[in-house]
Amino acid sequence: MGRGEGLLRSRLRLDLTTPGLLGVPLAWLVVFFVLPIAIVAAYSFDVYSLFPGPHGFTLGAWRAFVHDTVYLRLFWKSVQMSLIVSAVIVVLAYPLAYYLALSGTKRKYILLLLLIAPFLTSYLLRVLAWKVILGDQGVINSFLFWTGLRANGDPISALLYSRFAVMLVLGYIWLPFVALPIFVSLESLDRRLLEAASDLGASRLQAFRRVTLPLSAPGIVAAFLFVFIPTLGEFVTPSLVGGASGYMYGNQIVDLFGTGFPDWETGSVLAMFLLGVVALLTVAFSRFLQPRRVVTD
Amino acid sequence: MDVALSRNGARLMRVFFALVVVFLYAPIVILVIFSFNNAQIPAFPLSGFTFHWYHQFLANGDLRAALQTSAIIAALSSAGAVVLGVLASIALVRRSFRGKAPVSALLLSPLVIPYVVFGISLLLLFHQLGIPRSILTVVIGHIVISLPYTILVLMPRLQQIDASLEEAAYDLGASRLRTFRSITLPLILPAVLSAYLIAFTTSFDEYAVASFVVGTRVTFPIYLYSALRFPDQLPQVIAVAVVVITISLLVVVAAEIGRRVVERRLGTLEHG
Repeated sequence: MGRGEGLLRSRLRLDLTTPGLLGVPLAWLVVFFVLPIAIVAAYSFDVYSLFPGPHGFTLGAWRAFVHDTVYLRLFWKSVQMSLIVSAVIVVLAYPLAYYLALSGTKRKYILLLLLIAPFLTSYLLRVLAWKVILGDQGVINSFLFWTGLRANGDPISALLYSRFAVMLVLGYIWLPFVALPIFVSLESLDRRLLEAASDLGASRLQAFRRVTLPLSAPGIVAAFLFVFIPTLGEFVTPSLVGGASGYMYGNQIVDLFGTGFPDWETGSVLAMFLLGVVALLTVAFSRFLQPRRVVTD
Repeated sequence: MDVALSRNGARLMRVFFALVVVFLYAPIVILVIFSFNNAQIPAFPLSGFTFHWYHQFLANGDLRAALQTSAIIAALSSAGAVVLGVLASIALVRRSFRGKAPVSALLLSPLVIPYVVFGISLLLLFHQLGIPRSILTVVIGHIVISLPYTILVLMPRLQQIDASLEEAAYDLGASRLRTFRSITLPLILPAVLSAYLIAFTTSFDEYAVASFVVGTRVTFPIYLYSALRFPDQLPQVIAVAVVVITISLLVVVAAEIGRRVVERRLGTLEHG
C-alpha cells in the first residue's frame, strides 16, 4: 500500500463528519424516544403528575403495583397467552421453513413470498376479517345455520370475544413472519453435514435430532422472541376480538391513560414494568436477535 | 436418497404448506366475497352481487379524508426516516468510532419497544411540552418507528459496495457531498427505495402509536378502528379492506420483482 493511499484511508476513517452523520438520527431518538420514556418513569414516581398540587419522588405506585396483585396477575395471564401463541406458531412454522429450505424445491423464493405477503398487508384489516368470520352472526356461525349443522339462533359464541379469539388472531397475524428466521437458519445449514450423518449410518430422524435441530436452534429462539415480545404488550387485537375474557395487560395500560378515570401514575408503573421485562429479554437473548441476518436474505 | 426428506415426508410437507397458505388467504378471500354481497350483514347465505359498497365508500368523504391524511403522514415520515437512516447507516458501515455497539443498539431499539409503551411515552412528552396533537406529532412518532427498518435495509447494501469506489472519487478531488451524490447514492438507490416503501407501509398501517398522538384529523387505521363499532359501516369497510389489501399485495410483489431485477443489473455492473 502506497503512503498516499494509506494517508487517504486514515483520513476517511478518522472522519470529522462522523458526528455530522450521527448527530441528527441520535438527537431525534434522544428527544423523541429516550426522553419520553424518562418522562414516563418520572410519572411512575410521581415526580410529574396529571393533577396539580405538590409532588415529589415516591415509590407509592410501585409498592401498590407489587402488593395489589391484580395487575401482576393480569400480566401473568398475558405472558401465558403470548407463550402459547408463540410456541404453537413456531411449531407450525418449522415444517414450512424446513420444506422451503431443504426440500430442494426450485420455487422456494416464490413460495416464501407467498407465505410472507399476508404479513405485509394491513394488520387492522386482517383483524377485521376475523371479526367478520367469528361473530355470532358471522361467516362461520351463519354457515352452520344455513347448512343446518347447528340450530338457528344457537351460535357458537365462544368464537368471538374470547381468549381463544385473541390467540387465534395473533397466531394468524404472526405465523408468516415466524417462518423467516427459521428459514434463514435452515438455509445456511451445510447439507454436507446431513450427508455425513447419513454416511455414518444415521437415519433421517437421527440426523434431524442430532444435526438439523441443534443447528437451527438460534433461528427457533429468534422466531419465538420475534412473536413473544410484540404480542406481550398487545392491545389492539384483544380490544377488537377479546371482549372481557381476552383482556390483556396492554389494554389495562391503555385504560389507565383513557378518558374515563385516568391514573397516569399507575399506568406509568405498568408501562415501565412491561418495558423492563422486554428490555431484559432483549438483552438476555441479544445474540439470537440479529434481525440483520433475516433482512439481508 | 435425499438426506433431508423422504419422498413421503416431502409430500406430507407440501400438503401442510398448502393448508397453511389456504388458512392465511381464506380470510382475505372471504372479505373479497362479502364485499360484493348484497346484504347489510356479512353472513351466509349469500344474497346477490352488488357494487353498492364500493360506491358507498367512494362517496364517503370522511373515509377519503382519512386515507389522504394517512398518505400525507406516511409520505413525510418515511422521507424523514430514510434521510436519518441513510446518515446513520453510512456512519455505522463506513466510519469507525468509539461506542459503535451502544449507538447501533440505540438506533435499533425502537424495534423491540412495545408500541403501547412508546405511544403513552410520546403522549406524556407532548403533554409535558404543551405541544398540541396533530399530523406532525404522528409523523414524529412514525419516524422513530420506521428508522430501524430503514437502517436494516440500507446497511447490508452499503456493506456490499466496495469502499474503494468512494475513496477513488475522493482521491480524484470530488468533495464528500459530490462523492455521495455521484457514487454512493446511485449504488444504494434500490435499497433507498425499498427502505422508503417499508417505512411508508409501516406508517400507513400503524394504529397503536398513532392512537395516542393523533389530532383531530384522523388517520385511516384510526378511522377503520372507530368504524368497526358501527355495524352499518361494516360492508363499506370490507370493500375498502379489499381495495387496500389488493394494492398492498401488488406493491409487495412488484417491489420484490423490481429489487431482484435491479440488483442483478447492479451485480453485473460491479463484478462484470
